[in-house]
Amino acid sequence: MRTKIAPILNLVEENENLKPLTNRRPVASLPFACRYRLVDFPFSSLSSIEAPSAALFISGSGHSLYDHIRSGATWGLESSVGGGVFTHSHINLKAELEDPQYQGNYYDDHYHYVSRSHAEYVMIMGSNMLSNIRLDSLLRFHEKKDSDATVIYKKIKRSEVREDSIHSALIMSEKDNDKIEGIRPVTDTTDPNDSLLLNMEMMILSKDAFLNYLFKAKKENLDVSVKHIITYCHGSEHNIYGYEYTGYLKVIEDIGSYYQANMDMLNEDNFNSLFYRSNPVLTKLKNSAPTYYGKHAEINNAQFANDCEVYGKVENSLVFRKVTIAEDAHIEDSIIMQDSCIEEDVHLKYVILDKHVYVKRGAKLEGTPDEPIVVAKDSVIYEDGTIEEGE
Amino acid sequence: MKTETVAMILAGGQGSRLGKLTKHIAKPAVPFGGNYRIIDFALSNCANSGMNDVGVVTQYQPLILNNHVGNGSSWGLNRHNGEATILQPYSSMEGEKFFKGTAHAVFQNIDFIDKKNPKYVMILSGDHIYKMDYQKMLDYHKEQEATLTVGVMPVPWEDASRFGVMNTDKTDRIIEFQEKPENPKSNLASMGIYIFNWDRLKKYLVDNQAKDRQLTDFGHHVIPAYLRNNEAIFAYSFEGYWKDVGTIESLWSANMEFLDPEHELDIRDRNWRVYSNNPNTTPQFLTESAKVTDSMITDGCYISGEVVHSIISHNVKIGKNSSIKDSFVMPNAVIGENVKIEKAIIGEGAQIHDGTEIIGSDDNIEVVGYDEEVGGYTDEN
Repeated sequence: MRTKIAPILNLVEENENLKPLTNRRPVASLPFACRYRLVDFPFSSLSSIEAPSAALFISGSGHSLYDHIRSGATWGLESSVGGGVFTHSHINLKAELEDPQYQGNYYDDHYHYVSRSHAEYVMIMGSNMLSNIRLDSLLRFHEKKDSDATVIYKKIKRSEVREDSIHSALIMSEKDNDKIEGIRPVTDTTDPNDSLLLNMEMMILSKDAFLNYLFKAKKENLDVSVKHIITYCHGSEHNIYGYEYTGYLKVIEDIGSYYQANMDMLNEDNFNSLFYRSNPVLTKLKNSAPTYYGKHAEINNAQFANDCEVYGKVENSLVFRKVTIAEDAHIEDSIIMQDSCIEEDVHLKYVILDKHVYVKRGAKLEGTPDEPIVVAKDSVIYEDGTIEEGE
Repeated sequence: MKTETVAMILAGGQGSRLGKLTKHIAKPAVPFGGNYRIIDFALSNCANSGMNDVGVVTQYQPLILNNHVGNGSSWGLNRHNGEATILQPYSSMEGEKFFKGTAHAVFQNIDFIDKKNPKYVMILSGDHIYKMDYQKMLDYHKEQEATLTVGVMPVPWEDASRFGVMNTDKTDRIIEFQEKPENPKSNLASMGIYIFNWDRLKKYLVDNQAKDRQLTDFGHHVIPAYLRNNEAIFAYSFEGYWKDVGTIESLWSANMEFLDPEHELDIRDRNWRVYSNNPNTTPQFLTESAKVTDSMITDGCYISGEVVHSIISHNVKIGKNSSIKDSFVMPNAVIGENVKIEKAIIGEGAQIHDGTEIIGSDDNIEVVGYDEEVGGYTDEN
């Protein structure tokens, strides 16, 4: 299939409520489900429609993202014919927009990428709406509707996102249910049981519509975001439609939702929805040995990546690569990231260990389902439960 | 940088003693240890030893093997300083070039080796499970100023008659070669690993082509010819784990040994990693009803049953109330509910239907072939 899409991944995403996990990484490179990072999901969707290239806009240095994405070969983005990952780092939307010196770059980078690609459409995506989108059916919908812009949404309960969520909901036309009539903050809805049509901040639009928006955005100092483009389309009489997504979705906006998204994978329906019913989810391959479970290991409803050694008891938990869990250790309802080491007689319940945490013999930590204890990267947890934080 | 050594991995053998496991794939491509194929060990040894120019000679049922090796990128062998190249028989003006033996396979690929113009050629087999630093052997070869160095391994005297054994003098120079001798004079078994000075070997092979064309096999023909001509042949002793997994029983027992976390092969050693062409798949999911002890499980598995002392390769599904014991299950097999498997090897993609029992014993390991279906409902009504 010759692809018609120029993808733009807007990875400058709100991360304050995800600290300390986002102290040194953007939301896009948050580890997920034993062996993935959140950015694998949009990349895998793009891979399934054979998008040859992608433009990334990231804040900060993006070290952990570069390390993960490399040449983009995992998702078929490394071709020497029209391929490539075009990364634009140190993007800090608001500050830069206020300083005219940098404005030029922000808009010009978008312009150059889109105008030079041979695509007919631009696809805008982020990484904090954890989902697995079939872009081929989105594209069919978009073309059938003869749409200028199509936004992906999902019907959710108000309670599924934060009370003070920064996300927005779509208002659909009463005459044509597919047509978007407006946009409003989700905080406008107050009853937690009310449903709303969450703007998943992913959209496809024609190259022309995109470039037109870009000129206006440059003039008026607007972000290149789905929210703003929806408003722009209404002002300019572009046709704009909503495409309903019905698969698994979790909005990753704080530690609670991050924890819940991982735990959701222990439910087979969710796991299958995200990993088996749609595009295969591709991640950077690492060389690994199978995981060894010891003679006295006790496992109950848990997921593991390769390269672990498990001698203790693990229940309702997710364990990433290269983790060692000693005999008589007991892990419940927890997320243990790569390279962590757990000694004998440790008990962890409702805990998230970031990468490379060392838990000493006898240590006990217990959080709650709503507030799991998060231990930062490279920390050491001592027998009395004190945590020496990593640098 | 000029290529000093070209490594030729002979991976064309059928491995007929593996029965239905090598019916459709070559022995070096047979899965091993949950996440590997047999040839990964030789390829990883090349990569870890800095032997970056590798020819992989394939012939018998090469599809999966060629696909697995690809351009060598899984082993880092696709760089500017070396590459992995798949060498298959081809036809030419001189006729078809099928390989009639180990030395003949090298003769047929003279052009490939000459293009690299190396000083040494290392001959390896793609059939063995071991970790070995080939660079050390090459250093030894240079030190001895040998024209041929043979990798040997001390075996128990009672087993020596099953191997080709090398008799050496006090300086480790090989003075006699006995193929599967009744009364072995030495317990140094040939590992099928050779380092030749390329110009010398090439001369033997080319001259031979003009004469009686008898030099088709390294063990049977080339080494005796070298001995007759009083070449400097030395034995390089390797000590460590080395296993030929040429039979069902040895493939099974090698996997059972591999399972032991104290095994000397130490698959988790970060300084000598065994690389493979890993699939992109999901985490391993052990459900509420799973019970897994003393076993290796690989990514992509879904386990609802009991697994004891077994290796389960990637993307295997095991249903409820099934029990797998002392077995090696190859990738992509699907095992239903209420299945009982003991002392067995289950082939890639096999389907074991609900309620089936597959019970082997130590001297008769049960084998289910690739994509084979066992059990299932019958239309009794």
